[in-house]
Amino acid sequence: MPPTKELAMSSQTNVLSVPLDRGAVPATRSVVRQPRRRRLSGFAWEPWALAAILLTAWQLAGQALAGEGNPLLPPPLVVFAALRDSLPELWRGTISSFLILLPGYGTALVLGVTLGLLAGTTPWLGRAFFPVAKVAAPIPPTVFIPYAIAVLPTFHLSATFVVFLGAFWPIFLNAAAGAAAVEGRHRDNARVLGFSHFESLRKVVFPASLPHIFCGMGVGLGFSFILLTVAELFGANAGLGRFVQYYADYADYPRMVAGILYTGAVTWGAMTLLEQARHRALFWQR
Amino acid sequence: MSKIIAHVEHREGLRIESLDFAYGESLILRGIDLAVQAGEFLALLGPSGSGKSTLLRLLAGLERPTSGRLTAAGDPIDGPGTERAVVFQHYALFPWMTVADNVAEAVHKAHPGLARSERRARARAHLERVGLGEAAGRYPFELSGGMQQRAAIARALALESPFLLMDEPFGALDPVNRAKLQDLLLAVWQGSSPRPTLVFVTHGIDEALLLADRVAVMGANPGRIIRDYPVPFARPRERVALYQDPGFQRLREEIAETLDADTLTRLDANPEAGFHAANQGARYV
Repeated sequence: MPPTKELAMSSQTNVLSVPLDRGAVPATRSVVRQPRRRRLSGFAWEPWALAAILLTAWQLAGQALAGEGNPLLPPPLVVFAALRDSLPELWRGTISSFLILLPGYGTALVLGVTLGLLAGTTPWLGRAFFPVAKVAAPIPPTVFIPYAIAVLPTFHLSATFVVFLGAFWPIFLNAAAGAAAVEGRHRDNARVLGFSHFESLRKVVFPASLPHIFCGMGVGLGFSFILLTVAELFGANAGLGRFVQYYADYADYPRMVAGILYTGAVTWGAMTLLEQARHRALFWQR
Repeated sequence: MSKIIAHVEHREGLRIESLDFAYGESLILRGIDLAVQAGEFLALLGPSGSGKSTLLRLLAGLERPTSGRLTAAGDPIDGPGTERAVVFQHYALFPWMTVADNVAEAVHKAHPGLARSERRARARAHLERVGLGEAAGRYPFELSGGMQQRAAIARALALESPFLLMDEPFGALDPVNRAKLQDLLLAVWQGSSPRPTLVFVTHGIDEALLLADRVAVMGANPGRIIRDYPVPFARPRERVALYQDPGFQRLREEIAETLDADTLTRLDANPEAGFHAANQGARYV
């Protein structure tokens, strides 16, 4: 036996000799990831060039319009000043918005993943859910907003509900698709290892479905932000959508544009966090 | 001690009685009768399409027969069970768990009451048995195919099952790694007491003769067992000496002829089917 082992090890030295622990990024993968990391950390000049062109065009157009006494397109410098002045208010708005977003999205995540995995693995639940999902999922959730505001007792509750609706279907459908697409070899292994239904859901179906689940989470998060801000246009007294709506009513275009930019940045930040979580959770995917 | 031996001698093996298996309209296996003694190493040898992997899946309980009966240790097989450990051809470790955690799942099934740390220690001991102690904390994607297959074997061993079912476990490996793993399997199997009853699916005649006590040769269209060859060579077997043994070469020829004859019979019956089979047959000689 010893020579066998020695040979096996020596043929693998390049992999084995690199000291790795569970948390470390394995050598082979960091090589694959390098180009991507470069792009993420902003070494590429192209996006900056495009941003500079857009900003310059904006500045020139805004100046020209302002010269004619037209306030509709405040130039970037004016907007940035307004943004700086509005930061405290925007921060309060962010908190208010997230108090809607997090419970709505969180509930959608927990219920969507749980029911999706169950429906994807339990035939009768699948038969119950999928036809309903087919009809209900394509309804644009925005159409529920007026009704939810009218029916539910508080704005907070109605907005949370609408955010939930928007995020639930994509998460549910993706989790179900992921559960149904678990590779046969993983299912066979769970069975020959004597896993119970619950055990195989937790240890096999859930991790194997994570790529799909994260895909659904991304779509769901996008929908959540759209629904959140639209709902706030209708009836909020605080929040990001409300901020934009409020200053639009007063024709304070610098603040309004600042609010749009800020909302974009917050959305981008949330998406980036999700992308990072996905990257960490799916480390095992080649 | 004597008690244990008596127990071993009375262990029952695997039994398949007049088994048919159809997939939709097509008959995959017909009239399979096979008994594997407890502690015996049986190779199922045959060309692609002879249903040998299907037969193994039936023994594993992953498929149900269309008709017929399967028993393990006298009990009917009506689903997968941890008393029948399985190693698949494609390293089927869970990629999101470390190698040690993969094995620890099997340890947990064999000994449900164990504390987590003890489970880890035993998983590591099983990995050491297959020469993978160093790799315990790694993830499957960090390992070569041969190492993943070692880990899969360690996981099967960790179930401590009386039956071990292996579906072309070394089929995807390069020749050097295949030879190393064949030696490892022999060492581990011979070193176990009691020895597990082992069913090993392969399409390599040399591999079957090197490893097994008995070779059941299967033919295709539909899959059936055409002959059963005892393998008389003494253990422990040494690869190079065995391959040069005239008795080995004779048996090897005989089995190759049996496979060819089956192919030719089919060639007469259905020239087109036979043509494909003949092409495949050439690979096994």
